[in-house]
Amino acid sequence: MEKLKKSLKNCDKNTVTLLGIAVGIVVIMAMITPDFLQGSNISSMAFQFPEFGILCFGMMFCMIADGIDLSLVGTANLSGIVAAVIIMSMGGSPVSIIIAIIAAILVGALCGLVNGYLIGQLQIPAMLVTLCGGQLYTGLGVAITKGPAITGLPDSLQKIGNGSIGGLIPYSSIIFVAIAVGMNFILKYTVFGKQLCFMGSNATASRYAGINNLRITLLTYMLSGILAAVAGIIIISHYGSAKSDYGTSYTLLTLLIVVLGGVAPSGGRGKVLGVALAIVILQLISSAFNILRFDSFFKTLVWGLLLIVVMVAKAIIQAHPIKFRRKLS
Amino acid sequence: MKGIFSKKNMTTNEMFVVYIILALSLLIGLVNPAFFALSTVFGTARSMLITSIFALCEMVIIISGGIDVSFPAVASFCLYFTVSIMNNFHIDSVVFAFVCASLFGLVWGMLNAVLIGKFKIPALIATLGTSSLANGATLVYSGGREISNIPNSVDALSQKFLFSVANATGGKSALTVFIILPIVLCFFMHWVLKHTMLGREIYAIGGDANAARIAGINVMKTQFIIYMAAGVLTGIAGISNTILMRNANPSNLMGAEMMVIAAVVIGGTRITGGHGTVVGTVLGVLLITLVSNNLIMLGVPNYWQTFAVGLIIVIGTSITSLRAKKIALSPKL
Amino acid sequence: MGEVFLELKEIKKSFGGVHALKGVNLTVKKGEVHCLAGENGCGKSTLIKVISGVHAADEGEVYIDGNLLKGFGPIDAIRLGVQVIYQDFAVFPNLTVAENIAMNHALQTGKKFMDWKESREIALKAMKQIGAHMDPDVLVERLSVANKQMVAICRAILEDAKLLILDEPTTALTANEVEKLFAIIENLKSKGIAIVIVTHKMEEVYGIADRLTILRNGANVATGDIKDFDRPTFVKYMTGRDIVEANYRPTEIGDEVLRLEHLSRKNSFDDVSFSLNKGDVLGITGLLGSGRGEIADALFGIAPAYSGKIILHGKQISIKSIDDAINHKFAYVPEDRLTQGLFLERSIADNTIAASITDYFKGGKLQYGAMTQAAETWIKDINIVAPSSEPLIKTLSGGNQQKVVIAKWLNTHPDLLILNGPTVGVDIGAKADIHKILHQLAATGVGIIIISDDLSELVQNCNKIIVMSGGSVAVELNSSETSESMLSAMLNGKVEQEAAK
Repeated sequence: MEKLKKSLKNCDKNTVTLLGIAVGIVVIMAMITPDFLQGSNISSMAFQFPEFGILCFGMMFCMIADGIDLSLVGTANLSGIVAAVIIMSMGGSPVSIIIAIIAAILVGALCGLVNGYLIGQLQIPAMLVTLCGGQLYTGLGVAITKGPAITGLPDSLQKIGNGSIGGLIPYSSIIFVAIAVGMNFILKYTVFGKQLCFMGSNATASRYAGINNLRITLLTYMLSGILAAVAGIIIISHYGSAKSDYGTSYTLLTLLIVVLGGVAPSGGRGKVLGVALAIVILQLISSAFNILRFDSFFKTLVWGLLLIVVMVAKAIIQAHPIKFRRKLS
Repeated sequence: MKGIFSKKNMTTNEMFVVYIILALSLLIGLVNPAFFALSTVFGTARSMLITSIFALCEMVIIISGGIDVSFPAVASFCLYFTVSIMNNFHIDSVVFAFVCASLFGLVWGMLNAVLIGKFKIPALIATLGTSSLANGATLVYSGGREISNIPNSVDALSQKFLFSVANATGGKSALTVFIILPIVLCFFMHWVLKHTMLGREIYAIGGDANAARIAGINVMKTQFIIYMAAGVLTGIAGISNTILMRNANPSNLMGAEMMVIAAVVIGGTRITGGHGTVVGTVLGVLLITLVSNNLIMLGVPNYWQTFAVGLIIVIGTSITSLRAKKIALSPKL
Repeated sequence: MGEVFLELKEIKKSFGGVHALKGVNLTVKKGEVHCLAGENGCGKSTLIKVISGVHAADEGEVYIDGNLLKGFGPIDAIRLGVQVIYQDFAVFPNLTVAENIAMNHALQTGKKFMDWKESREIALKAMKQIGAHMDPDVLVERLSVANKQMVAICRAILEDAKLLILDEPTTALTANEVEKLFAIIENLKSKGIAIVIVTHKMEEVYGIADRLTILRNGANVATGDIKDFDRPTFVKYMTGRDIVEANYRPTEIGDEVLRLEHLSRKNSFDDVSFSLNKGDVLGITGLLGSGRGEIADALFGIAPAYSGKIILHGKQISIKSIDDAINHKFAYVPEDRLTQGLFLERSIADNTIAASITDYFKGGKLQYGAMTQAAETWIKDINIVAPSSEPLIKTLSGGNQQKVVIAKWLNTHPDLLILNGPTVGVDIGAKADIHKILHQLAATGVGIIIISDDLSELVQNCNKIIVMSGGSVAVELNSSETSESMLSAMLNGKVEQEAAK
């Protein structure tokens, strides 16, 4: 108990706020409709969030590097399509699935490498590179599928996205948790992670300190490309088909989550725990909307509104830090 | 006269775009000689119409050091709600259509201005937010359905043409009267940017916002003017698009932001701000339009087109960014 | 020199309990060049802001042109003829020279429309007035630093400036350019314009200033005609200490640590050779552009040499990139710590280990315990004033921040430590601490090179001094053979020599 109290105290204000919001949403929704706490709802939530959750970590790393990655969805779809093509052309055998997964990850890494090169070596602003890059990767996906979705993916693949342990814990959730733990480790405990924070904080000082900015940039965008590929694999296995235009609303959603999770758009800082909590919060809201029968259009509206509200709130808190420090202590 | 064909003038960014357009036109013309006809000019102008209005607004915003990705969503909002209101209240007036759309656009522009100018939220994030908000609102209200019923007098505008010619296949090819909009806007923007202090202040802010403040420029006021004006023009572009397409679709403009920004950057406007011209932007829009309209003629199959356009955009923006960097690193005078 | 234009009486100003100005007096006559000197933090900037209307004084009186002013802002100051040229010039890189020069005029007169022809005429007239020759249609981003400063000056005098304040104007100029600037100042002076030059470098102002006011800790400590001050007196008033102190004389000189042979890089430096032994502290000085900073850039791999040899501990090495330099255990404390040396939003501990992160990767992960411990050891050893290694580094004073930058490099256990302007903006106590550490390091065999334009710092802390000029080594001396005034005279002589070229 003491340890729990101590670790709660050590958590920064942002994390505690997010935890509070998450708990608050659960309580409110449980009061509105008991269905919310039903096993089936929790289960469906657990299947949904890994898709965009994994993308968020990619966005997070790029933002810490004082950049952004708007091509995550395009890369995810392209990777998924490449995997699907390999699987279908090899008859759907387990071997083909393994090869397909490896290929998809390679595709993601390659897309990330292209992004990283344009941003790190040619010094073109990340916003422009990834906005146009996203179009490029999506376009490649369209070219490969020639338009319609690739359907009929084998059950063995679909187990990844739809299967679970003991009917309770989805494989995809486990993958998500593993990735979250991995990202946290990379960010906090590896040389790369630390150098990433320094570069995002002050790229000039980082160069003068002997940090290889180009290398860090390439690795960062490759990492987000690989994460996008993983998300892409989970998506195609969940839906049993590969499309070039799936998840277009995910770009804004990942940005919202990362910002809510405490990553500063100006780079240099961010906590995996914050982003993870933000992912949970958004999933809760998303499920709440589903239960209350709000359509997906409404979600688009709310995500936009939330992004604005969160940014304004942060702007106001930053402008009057003393007032808020006193209030929260 | 002596300096017009000088090396300096012939190697500007705008001239490079002209060379590429000429080369591309020749290429298309070789494959399809019917390309060299007045009907092509009309058709291209028609395709460029709405994009040009968006591009000119985006150019001004980027020159000032900002960015805006919300214009397709705002345009969709303005056009849909205007038509819906007109239908529900049986208002059949062209003036009302444009005024209503402009007002909606103005409000969205004001929202952007407050977020970016007052709360100092990064422009990309702020406009991504307003884009989603506007798009979501439109979709919720419309249920994703389009309105094909346009009030009569408004719809009649879509049948007004400036010139018409007979084209090769015996049909008629005409230049819509709406072309006046972007043409007037071009001249007006060029004049504002080059010959008014407001225009120069926009460049100054994009060059160094702090220095602008010290010099006594009211940065926030200028930002409000830019984003609000862009909002109004976006609304007008939206309603124009509806009239020309003869239906109010809540989502077919979405996705235009990338092409518009690419056109603006290829035309010489640096994404980092402080540079950009009307001529360059129009040329950039022309290039992008030619490419996307004529890929099929160059034998690029349908499903390769997204990729092809994307590739050209990536190459185009890379080249312009590199040129800008080269200039920055050249020896100092 | 005519009547008094600016008079400040007992100006007091505080910011939240910190007394920046404690009753400062200043008198400047028309046609006078007045030097306002003092170390960083003495109150010079605050005083300028009071004169230019950015800050209102808490107490005291401001007289401009004989009129007592109350409650005036920047625009009022400009209308009264007060113009400030800040260190970064605040020019617009994406606009032409003509536009930059004419911009303020257009804004002041409330114009709505841009008159290109008039702007060009105004710009040419201003440039002619001060003798600058620039193409009015060229974008300012293409100009050298000196010419950008010219643009800022032209802009200032357009507004019928009666008082021109230049904040550290010679920092980024070469000798030639300094000479040109001084000629322009003479020109303005002859027109009856009052000029205040804010600086902490007396030798450059010697030739141009008439009178001098020195501030320390927010108060006047000296005022008078320039000819009444010599360098030791000047420094004594600035720092509050007598400059006669222990000069660094190593107890023993050991083996050679570093030797440069005929090192060259086109347009930066030519045929530079010197050697550094264990125990030596080498100082390099010279005016900006003389190659002093460029040598450091070459040794640290930022702008490598094209030819010549670098010999470390007897073995020839090649430095073509920052990686090479660091691999050879070179360390560099750069000039501008805010942009090049510090990660402002990160903790002291983070800043301390920033150049040696890989050392802490043990057992498959970064060891935060060891990192914190290292930082806290350095805090103790170099006397950094901080409660722990946790706070963000931006909360520390300039002197303590600089100590952390030095700690960052000491943590890499370097063989060669180059410092460029190591005590700029650092208070006296921290300065002494930093010098002490450098001496201790030299004794252990670490090569120390100090690049500085603070001549007293060099004379007291280095046993060998190299004076660079025009890219070559002009002279190499033992500091026992020279003094600040000798060095100063040498540098001033260089200014005249180069100007004559």
